[in-house]
Amino acid sequence: MTNQRTDKHFLELIHRHQSILHKICFAYCKNRSDREDLQQEIVLQLWKSYPSFRGNSQFSTWMYRVALNTAINRTSKPGILTDSSKAPEAAYDPGDDYELSEEIRILHMAIARLKKIEKAIILLWLEELSYEEIAETIGITAKNVSVRIVRVKTRLAEIIQKLQ
Amino acid sequence: MKATDIDSLKSAWKNEQGFENKTLSQTDIEKFLQKKSKDITHLFKVGLTIDVVLKSIIGVSLMGIIILFSGNQQMVISMTAILGLILWAIWFQLKMYRSIPQTGMSEPAIRTSLEARIQFYHQRYVKSLYIGALSNSLFFISGSLYYFYFKYGEIRPMDIVDFLVFGTAIIIAFVIGAVAQIAQHNFHVKQLESCLQEIDEETMTALTIKEQRNKKLKLFFIALTALVCGLLLLAYFVFR
Repeated sequence: MTNQRTDKHFLELIHRHQSILHKICFAYCKNRSDREDLQQEIVLQLWKSYPSFRGNSQFSTWMYRVALNTAINRTSKPGILTDSSKAPEAAYDPGDDYELSEEIRILHMAIARLKKIEKAIILLWLEELSYEEIAETIGITAKNVSVRIVRVKTRLAEIIQKLQ
Repeated sequence: MKATDIDSLKSAWKNEQGFENKTLSQTDIEKFLQKKSKDITHLFKVGLTIDVVLKSIIGVSLMGIIILFSGNQQMVISMTAILGLILWAIWFQLKMYRSIPQTGMSEPAIRTSLEARIQFYHQRYVKSLYIGALSNSLFFISGSLYYFYFKYGEIRPMDIVDFLVFGTAIIIAFVIGAVAQIAQHNFHVKQLESCLQEIDEETMTALTIKEQRNKKLKLFFIALTALVCGLLLLAYFVFR
């Protein structure tokens, strides 16, 4: 009975905060199939980690943390003909399965071109997390976060300019 | 576009409704929970499971050799020793299986989680790759002994050239297994290292990574030397 209640509660929470899932998958995956794989992986990891969620932070912050950990720790498979690290933008396919506004679509495409940790920092910043919360999630100092954010924003602005 | 213009996108980002239209139903989420993970730890676990199964099969086949050559005391002793080695290897692989760190943990920061994984793969998992590669050599030994039994009904005395040929084949079998697994291992770990490097741009130097690689190489040569000595000793006792 308790387990059923926990399961239901978990499903409701994931359902309510699923935009986090979509945003992270959009940032870390190049195509639809990759996105579906990562979505599944994140949900699985959230489910495994859920018993340790104590409610010390907001569920969305915790979900971001687990999801980013999963996305960053996920490695691509070795390929003979493909080298994803060399030309990420060449293979990026934003897909048409999301009805995003033009400016947000471009922002997502620009985020997808950043490095893995840069993506995490900017995603958390866009979600309006405090520097302390971002620092805690990434594992760096708040001062370092402020420096990095300025750097990432500059890089993002350059990419957006190229995309427009 | 200026960096400051990104600030203006912040509210648009928060209020974007596009993702709300692409909703996963609770059934979709439940389906995700029923599927198997494709995470790197899962891949390593699958690899370890296959190796444990393979070693168990080799162990059973060696028991067959003990029965077939029950009259040959040296053979029985040697095969029993190899069986002991297999049992230890299986125990080691199972221990490794249990200690593989999980992803998606709620508590550690991304940096802590990456550090823990990289350290695990460099210091501990790499040992299990060598033990995994040992299966190839054991498979070769077991196959050769069965071949001798069914072809000649006995182990014929071997000269120095035979020792060299068999010794080389056993080493090649080990090296092929080790190189293939290490290449795959390095491919995954390199990606994790690049993330950690990105976090620690200022503090983590390339030297640390180089040190870790040198340590791994040193470990490889120690394991290889130990294997060669062990196998030559074994071959001497079995075939003299």
